[in-house]
Amino acid sequence: MNLKITNISKKFKGFELKDINLEIREGEFFVIVGPSGAGKTLILEIIAGLLKPDSGEIYGIRNKKIGFIYQDYMLFPHLNVFKNIAYGLNIRKIDKDEIKSRVENLALKLEINELLQRNVANLSGGEKQRVAIARAMAISPDIFLFDEPTSALDRNSRIKTQEMFIKLHKKTCSTFIHVTHDFEEALSLADRIGILINGRIVQCGKPDHVLNSPVSKKIADFIGYKNVFGGSIENNTLNINNLNIIVPIERADFAYVAIRSDDIIISKNKIESSARNSFFGEVENFFKKSSMYEVILNVGIRISIDITRKSFEEMDIKIGDNLWATFKVSSLKVFKH
Amino acid sequence: MKFKVIFSFLGFLLILFIGIPIVKMMISTDPSTLVLTSKEPEVYLSIFLTFRASVWATIIALITGVPLAYLLARREFWGKKIIEGLIDLPVIIPHTAAGIALLTVWGRNSLFSKATGINVIGTEISISIAMFFVSVPFLVNAAKDGFKLIDERYEKTAITLGATQCKAFFTVSLPMVKKSIISGSLMMWGRGISEFGAVIILAYHPMTAPVLIFERFQNFGLKYAIPVTVLLILISLIVFIFIRIFEDK
Repeated sequence: MNLKITNISKKFKGFELKDINLEIREGEFFVIVGPSGAGKTLILEIIAGLLKPDSGEIYGIRNKKIGFIYQDYMLFPHLNVFKNIAYGLNIRKIDKDEIKSRVENLALKLEINELLQRNVANLSGGEKQRVAIARAMAISPDIFLFDEPTSALDRNSRIKTQEMFIKLHKKTCSTFIHVTHDFEEALSLADRIGILINGRIVQCGKPDHVLNSPVSKKIADFIGYKNVFGGSIENNTLNINNLNIIVPIERADFAYVAIRSDDIIISKNKIESSARNSFFGEVENFFKKSSMYEVILNVGIRISIDITRKSFEEMDIKIGDNLWATFKVSSLKVFKH
Repeated sequence: MKFKVIFSFLGFLLILFIGIPIVKMMISTDPSTLVLTSKEPEVYLSIFLTFRASVWATIIALITGVPLAYLLARREFWGKKIIEGLIDLPVIIPHTAAGIALLTVWGRNSLFSKATGINVIGTEISISIAMFFVSVPFLVNAAKDGFKLIDERYEKTAITLGATQCKAFFTVSLPMVKKSIISGSLMMWGRGISEFGAVIILAYHPMTAPVLIFERFQNFGLKYAIPVTVLLILISLIVFIFIRIFEDK
């Protein structure tokens, strides 16, 4: 049965959710992504039944077992690893031998079988997380809720954890609802993404679709579009700082156009091609990134362009160089607000 | 280095202030007098009574005060500040005044006494009542501060794992604040033992140790009051040091 969230609103301790509507399919890996303070944890706590919404309903949650994994894991400090994992089973008054075998089984799967008698305070971040997952898994939840589980981890552990989540999702066939502020993480995990900004779900869809078609400036900013320009459009042209950008819509009193940094080509000479937007400008700055360079070119407006390290070195780009930036009309996204 | 010297010196001054009167009183007492005094039924019975009455008060405070402390730490409700003020009140009002206030409720002509026909004044119960009133803030505040330090999400996690709110409280929150509650109970118990003002108004007899000390001083002078005082201090000191050692383990 799908999980259906309808018209949920809630004000709580300075956070606010406004009219949330979402349908999450059974067995789906759904990621809610948004900046901090957007109300992500609040949604999870409402789904888990820990908080009552001010209004709205959730369907398909009754009698469902929930595995909630908080950001800092919330391992009970007065219980050792074994007793933490066994907590939900003890509550259900399951037979002692049964508990022992189930806990040991889970610990083996999550590679924490050596830690069972350890005090939880002495575990590493990654170990704590696996104990928290084992504790949730012990009750065989129908729905897993993850509250920013990777935000406290370093890059390497984060990637490992993401791989583990994907495996876990495949194995358990449970519904996963995961919240994060990291859009990259959402892209690599999600079947579908919901973007939460200021307490509202502002866009929802498959990762590629959200990435390629943001529906507002706020979303474009959040998911990493560096080139977003606003102005009036006439005759398929947006005029900004005396620069005429050819755009895919005919006219608008006001609209934003956005283009991804890697959809722009940079060159020393003007390229004769089907791409209709070509501008000449001066390199103002550049930033080295892990596998590429971001070049800031001032063509009347500042545009950000990503190029590979190899191209950057071959072109021998320096601050003050004069270069061309070229992009297709079809790679521009247009939105009204 | 300078820092350490100055801090140690200031701390040392404080220790002298508390320590000198106690040590001086102890060395001025002949050990054989102490032994004799401890064998007087009036003396050891009053010390037992004092410790026991304070234990009753602390037990009642644990049963009623811990739930209150939990609510004060976790929930927002109308009148919370008023309740918190009320809890702190016994610490600042003169304890004789507390005794008088208690008399209006538990006294021989009070509604309680008339309605039930029970007289508690002048009994061990009234001693516990007086001790409870003046020392309960120590337990409630310690427990409240303890609960406040515990992230609410521990309980929420327990609830998602299938615990009821009540079960989550007893299996998660309570064990996590055990230390605060134990140390609050000890403070309350100790404060109860030392209570004089409220106790003497509700029960001159049976005599608690502080009242006995006062009576001996009043009727027979300093010389007779000192052995009882030293005895009470020694026993309290031993008990508290033992508890602290036990607590650390």
